[in-house]
Amino acid sequence: MNKNHNCFTTRAMVVAVQGALLAMAAMPLAYAEEHPTEVELTQPVKTLEVGVRNVSSDSFKAGEYNGLEKKGASAIVNIDARGGGSYDSEDATRWRVTGSELGLETRNLNDEYGQQGKFKINFGYDELLRNRSDTYQTPYQGTGGNNLTLPANWLAPKVPQTNAAQNAAGINFRSFDPVVGTANGLAAGVAVVPSAATLNTLAAIRTADLPAFHRVDLYTKRDKFDGGFTYDIDKQLEFKGSFSHEKKNGYKPMGTVSSQVSEFSAVIPDLIDSTTDQYNLSLGYTGEQGFLQAAYYGSIYKNNVTSMTWQDVNDLTKSATMSSAPSNQFHQLSLTGGYNINKTTKLVMNGSYARNTQNDAYLGSSTAANGQLAWGLPTPSLNGLVVTTAFNAKLTARPIKDLSLAANYKYDNRDNQTPVNTYLFQDVNEAKSGTSIFNAALGLSNLGSNTNIYANRAYSKKVNQLNLDADYAVAKGQVVKVGYDWQQIDRSCNGSWIDCADANTTKENTLRAEWRAHPTEDVSAKVGYAYSQRKVDNYNENAFLALVPMAGVAGTGAGGVSAQAALATLGLTGFGASAAQPTVAQIAAMSTAQKFYFGANGNAILAQALYGSRNNINELPGMRRYNMADRNRDKLRTSVNWQANEQLSFQGGLDFNQDDYDNSVYGLKNSKGWALNLDATYAANDSFSASIFYTFEDQRSQSAGSTYGSTSTTSNLTGATAVSGGCYATVADKNNDGKMDPCLNWSTDMRDKVDTLGVVLKQKGMMAGKLEMAEDVTFTRAHTDVGVGGGNYVANPILLATNPATATAYYYIPAAAMPTVTTDTVELKVRGKYKIDKVSAVNLMYAYQHMTSNDYIYTGMQIGTGTNYMPTMEQAPSYTVHIVGASYIYNF
Amino acid sequence: MKFLRKILVLSAFIASAGWGSASLAAEANGTVAKSLHEDAKCTKCHDSEETKPILSIYQTRHGVKADSRTPSCQSCHGASEKHLHGEANQKERISPDVVFGAKRGTSGAFAPSEAKVQNAACLTCHNTANGKRNHWEGSQHESRDVACTSCHSMHVKDDPVMKKSTQTEVCFTCHKTERAQSHRISTHPLNAGKMGCSDCHNPHGSTGPKLLVKNSVNETCYTCHAEKRGPFLWEHGPVTDDCTNCHTPHGSTNAPLLKARAPWLCQECHSGDHGKTIYSGVNLPTGNTTTVNGLQGVANQGPAAQANARACMNCHVLVHGSNHPAGAKFQR
Repeated sequence: MNKNHNCFTTRAMVVAVQGALLAMAAMPLAYAEEHPTEVELTQPVKTLEVGVRNVSSDSFKAGEYNGLEKKGASAIVNIDARGGGSYDSEDATRWRVTGSELGLETRNLNDEYGQQGKFKINFGYDELLRNRSDTYQTPYQGTGGNNLTLPANWLAPKVPQTNAAQNAAGINFRSFDPVVGTANGLAAGVAVVPSAATLNTLAAIRTADLPAFHRVDLYTKRDKFDGGFTYDIDKQLEFKGSFSHEKKNGYKPMGTVSSQVSEFSAVIPDLIDSTTDQYNLSLGYTGEQGFLQAAYYGSIYKNNVTSMTWQDVNDLTKSATMSSAPSNQFHQLSLTGGYNINKTTKLVMNGSYARNTQNDAYLGSSTAANGQLAWGLPTPSLNGLVVTTAFNAKLTARPIKDLSLAANYKYDNRDNQTPVNTYLFQDVNEAKSGTSIFNAALGLSNLGSNTNIYANRAYSKKVNQLNLDADYAVAKGQVVKVGYDWQQIDRSCNGSWIDCADANTTKENTLRAEWRAHPTEDVSAKVGYAYSQRKVDNYNENAFLALVPMAGVAGTGAGGVSAQAALATLGLTGFGASAAQPTVAQIAAMSTAQKFYFGANGNAILAQALYGSRNNINELPGMRRYNMADRNRDKLRTSVNWQANEQLSFQGGLDFNQDDYDNSVYGLKNSKGWALNLDATYAANDSFSASIFYTFEDQRSQSAGSTYGSTSTTSNLTGATAVSGGCYATVADKNNDGKMDPCLNWSTDMRDKVDTLGVVLKQKGMMAGKLEMAEDVTFTRAHTDVGVGGGNYVANPILLATNPATATAYYYIPAAAMPTVTTDTVELKVRGKYKIDKVSAVNLMYAYQHMTSNDYIYTGMQIGTGTNYMPTMEQAPSYTVHIVGASYIYNF
Repeated sequence: MKFLRKILVLSAFIASAGWGSASLAAEANGTVAKSLHEDAKCTKCHDSEETKPILSIYQTRHGVKADSRTPSCQSCHGASEKHLHGEANQKERISPDVVFGAKRGTSGAFAPSEAKVQNAACLTCHNTANGKRNHWEGSQHESRDVACTSCHSMHVKDDPVMKKSTQTEVCFTCHKTERAQSHRISTHPLNAGKMGCSDCHNPHGSTGPKLLVKNSVNETCYTCHAEKRGPFLWEHGPVTDDCTNCHTPHGSTNAPLLKARAPWLCQECHSGDHGKTIYSGVNLPTGNTTTVNGLQGVANQGPAAQANARACMNCHVLVHGSNHPAGAKFQR
């Protein structure tokens, strides 16, 4: 990307423009502006604006979307030219060329030409630059390609440990930090000062690795070329079409994990290079009694980057490859018709059929390191197909003057017909270990107990919905609206060996009521309330089994009982028994299957190896995914408008939402929020107006989880038996209830509180009608809090090699709230336009953009913070930017 | 930039092709003359001296008299005979048959007509099959008495709601919470003028929820984010279900447009494996360490990766779906 960094002295210019704008603003209002002539009002005017603006400092965040991310000067070029036959001529030709910000990478240019009533063609070009980060750093070389490498002298970032096992695994990015990385360690409770050899090793790592870090700007650039036409075949028949071709390039941050075992990751600059073509065609017939439209929509996405490969920070002989988003297509045909049954009754129906396909070749085993795909692939590509059919019918009627009725039925079916297959793979960079109990069942001999045997899930969703509405004018200026909505959503997976949906069917009923009043010409008010109740027929806590088809197979040693059969027989979920550790007698009474799948004590969680997974993928009993959980929803909307007099008006509104997931023990339990909006507008006359607005929004959600452990009979930690804090006094008791320890339950309370204050001023007609100005300022303060309740046990780090039984083995550490994230934003814009004469004017503009943010996630991106993810050195977006500009406008 | 060059050439061509005709003013006759004659009944008084110039309508599509469909003043405002000629025993001038505007301040000296009356005048012509108003009747705006002129300005040469850079100002007149949300740290490019509300919403009614331009939330989002459409080998359930399960499109304090912060957003659905872990202020780089005495091994001091930087997406980055045969955990 070629970015011009021309700089020129700005301070004088800033002061000059600010001074000029202030002087303008201080001008007394004078309303001697001449009325434009009839010709001036009716004759199109062509406008060309040329000027220069300057940005005081670099900031990708301030210039996130406006193309002004770099310090320095840029051209202001805007054009609006139009013409054609005059309004009173027999010539219906019209043309127009508009261009905005042609000097920036956010430029836009549009052309249109046509004979109104016959045809119109148009073309456009648009650039959209989204700047993500100008502080991101990476040691990876090869940005711009899809194979990223580390310098040949790269040393694995590790901190030598006294513990041999830790030393072997030990990727530790804190080794980059000369202070943190060389701090004392602990060995059996004794502080160990790093040896000279350790310090030398760490110094060598820093010397080799740190110079490799370099800045890569992260951005997405969209260049879009579009066009369209309209052709009026006759007065009733119209043919219309449009297309767009968008090219997208840039780099986005991509978190990559090289090792599943120690879970270290690096954020790489992921190459963006893709195109999206979109087509629209429609033929419409409009008659006296109704209309009919046939339409086609096509969207073809092509990704020129099929994969990203990067070297392993732990071992330069290895690399890993990630697939990029696959190319895909979407083609949709639709038919829409409307019929006026009579003057007050109308029926509109719409049906559509769409095919979404994707068949990119899979990345083969050669791109999967360490035998990750050693067992080959069941099919070379997905041959994915999603057929979406939709139908909509709406009947509206006004049987009497004061009553309006509407009934609307909607059907939308995303039918995923993608073939389902079983894929065998190791987790990323993890060597195979153990022996799978499913080798025999699959006719293989070399599956590890940590090999994933997964089937893809082709999610389908079918929505049926009915909306009924009635509006009745109960009195003059008062309308009551009542409504009822019914919605049923069915979810399923074609080809799945077992139900894949947490909720096969959800049904939601909503009652709505609204009162709108217009008691006087100057006052209007509205109060609306809606209550919804969503119910799930049977929430399926074992839906995760759809991912692991081996759960339906009895592996070696399972006594002929599959995991799924065991769960069904025992009435358990993958979490297993939820009672405390059973007695010896209870264990003895347990079935073979229970002890096979849930451990010798019979109440462990379902071991992942017994269903062909590397990870435990079951959820907690009582966990409900919120998008398909039972839910009660309240919604309140209020607003008042008051036109106090000809000049002054007020508006106010209060919105309230509350979602309660009463049957969710874990997961999202509730969310609620309210927003207050206040506006006041003073419009003294056509030459001066001022408005002020304030919004306060409070959004809150609460959820719950559990850091459950596993039960065991272990009663000490290197001899120590006491527990400090928590729910149990001894290690034995704690471990006995490890799976059910109530002190391991946790909760979160997330809250966003945002104040937004804005003032907008507009003045016209100053300086004998030559000057008009506009000023607006917006201040936003956002607080994000995450309260966390609960806690966890931590082993006493200063336990010695041997300890008395009375020593504290574990401390219970209460959770703490996350730091409050506060983001302040100020946006000020001042614009002044001075008319020199009938054909020319000068524009002056000044903008002040300011943001401070203390978001802690950026703290964790610096050297010396995270152990197992590579620092990117990204900084929280804080900036102060002044933009000044001056331009000359020529009308012709 | 190749496209830009092409479009510049096209622009030059269109401008040069149309330039010569710009000053042409054919003599009015036929339907043009008839329409202008009707207009003259109004423009006789409502001339260039009007405080709010109304004659600029002649620069708009509503002013192309050579198009036989183009309305005269009376086409929209009605014949308004009483307004023109007065009525016996009525001292003050009577309003035109149809007065447009959302409230008195915008409708001039007369109170605006009922929204249904105003809209009927517009829909006389703007009811074509290829238009955007096929689903207007019974839609959210129609059923709440929103008039066409609540959003559209007819007598100005450029209707602000038809232009991306000024459209949001119009929509935010009523949608004030969304106005505030557009100023948050994570937004779509609404305030930069690179995106309009109508890129996602059809305010005239649609088959989708929330007046979205397509049948569903996801179909609408995929018009710009086609890379997330798939179908993927490994689909993420809530993604195919509804993008707004996780995202809030008008602005958020949590980038990228997330409803809540990760990892807790993820943990609202994932409670197994390390999804069960409690992530709290303890162990943050600037927070407390996990031990009560503050001394522990270097290897154990790091804060949980899942609560820092990109949280769960440090590793599970392909949350919208993966097409890698080993990408079931969205890491490949």
